[in-house]
Amino acid sequence: MKTAVQGEARSRAIRLWITSGPGLFWVILFLLIPSVVLLGIGFFSADDYGGPTMPLSIQPFQQVAGFSLLGWDDGNIIIFLRSLEQAGIATVVTALLSYPIVFFIMTRPESVRPLLLLFIILPSWTNQVVRTYAWLELLGPNAPVTYVAHALGIVPPDLGIAPGQFAVTTGLAYNYLPYMIVPLYASAEKLDWNLVEAGRDLYASGFRLFWHSVFPQTLPGLLSGIIFVAIPAFGDYVVPQLLGGDKALMIGSLIANQFTETPDWPYGAALTIIMLVFTGVGLVAFRILSRRMGGAGEATI
Amino acid sequence: MSTVVPPRVRALLAGVSWPVYVLLYTPLVLVAYYSFATASGYSAAAYGILFTDGEVGAALRRSLILALGSATVSTALGTLLGYGLCRFRVANARGFLANMPSLIIYTPIIMPSLVFGLSEQLSFNLVHNATGLLGAGLGTMVIAHITFQVPYVALTVFARLSGLDPNLFEASHDLYADGVKSFFYLIVPVVQPAIVGGFLLGITLSIDDFTISFFTSGPGSTTLPIYIYSAIARKGISPEINALGTLMIATIIVIAVAHFFINRHRERASQLPV
Repeated sequence: MKTAVQGEARSRAIRLWITSGPGLFWVILFLLIPSVVLLGIGFFSADDYGGPTMPLSIQPFQQVAGFSLLGWDDGNIIIFLRSLEQAGIATVVTALLSYPIVFFIMTRPESVRPLLLLFIILPSWTNQVVRTYAWLELLGPNAPVTYVAHALGIVPPDLGIAPGQFAVTTGLAYNYLPYMIVPLYASAEKLDWNLVEAGRDLYASGFRLFWHSVFPQTLPGLLSGIIFVAIPAFGDYVVPQLLGGDKALMIGSLIANQFTETPDWPYGAALTIIMLVFTGVGLVAFRILSRRMGGAGEATI
Repeated sequence: MSTVVPPRVRALLAGVSWPVYVLLYTPLVLVAYYSFATASGYSAAAYGILFTDGEVGAALRRSLILALGSATVSTALGTLLGYGLCRFRVANARGFLANMPSLIIYTPIIMPSLVFGLSEQLSFNLVHNATGLLGAGLGTMVIAHITFQVPYVALTVFARLSGLDPNLFEASHDLYADGVKSFFYLIVPVVQPAIVGGFLLGITLSIDDFTISFFTSGPGSTTLPIYIYSAIARKGISPEINALGTLMIATIIVIAVAHFFINRHRERASQLPV
């Protein structure tokens, strides 16, 4: 009897590996091992061409902290803080825009809702380079909006709004808006309107009604949206590269430079490690926070 | 439910939403506008230049090979992966080994594409220097694109399968279907929408991606996004680039909207009483 159970468990395990094995193996071989290699390089010294060489060293991390032969420099810390700020603002902007849009769609007739949602998602299906450089047409040095900004004295003459920090924030919010709207819409669809009506019957109205009846119910969607927006926005490469210029450098471009323009692989790898640590700590802190707020229940495999 | 929302609030919601819709499409419309507008009026000359440019044609061909090739392989791998995890994994198992598949599936989704691209560039580079294999080019790009698509296909198939009645599997077993038979006669037809959806998602992800392509590409494997990016970096935006951008945007919009209405038509047709 016992052997039959064992045999079944074994055949189940074999089937699991026959079906799932190839896909899992592929991801391990072409992503997990490569990323371990990348991160590992952060603990080596750099040779004359920027490649990794022995001995093992913590110098790359000292470089990340801003120490070099010339002494200490706050450049990297500013870039880290700027990336956090840009990702943070973009997340807040998308969240603030998503609520009215989601409930605008929800209050339309049922037959047009999918279409309205489609037109929110559609721009994100175009290529990221195309939809990002498109903002240069609107905010670049010779664009109409820029002329208005010149006239108002917000932007010095001859310069565009892009490249600049404002353009980067706009570009990030534009790129990641659907990532906030889709999960929020999914949780708004499940909203129990009886609770809202009950709140209204108890004479709650306006903001109080929203805050106590709608907001708690949509919190799981909002929390997933924040993760979907904040993490990719923090490490984005295309947007700051195309819309940022030198003054709005973000962590992504800084890392990429260490592998392309002025190679220093160990330094680049150390920057990557620090970026992932930031992301990881943020994620864990956020999970704890969202559990406390009662926003559990994400779909997991 | 919408009766709860008073007209004043509805007006406010619409007042915020419509401008956002306009703003979502303004940059894209401007790309199209500047592909026609020249200093001396309007012309479609940029499109003429585009169609005779062999480099653009080659880039388009590579983009298509990349999207279709990677989506095909990732659909096969992802479907099997999603199926296996749903059917054969011991539910609620504890321990590192039992939870490893989830970890592996979520890594490509959660990892920033820059880190993804750089890791692969670096490793392909090391392997190439050591063995001469995996030189940067369309091949390495296809490998990278498969890698980020597999988890999405697997999740799509997994979601569809976990919504199924488990008795279906029992029934096929009772009818003497072995594993292979029940896979092709039961699973494939039932999850077919999810497989098609996963394939389309794979193509969409491939078309959308720039960062991972950029770092895994080689000198002879310029695809459309890389072509546009390097053209802008070299000499700024030109009418030809706008014309190319317009065509890419228009293609996606036409396909997506057509797919949407065809699907809706099918759904309505299937709901008719027979």
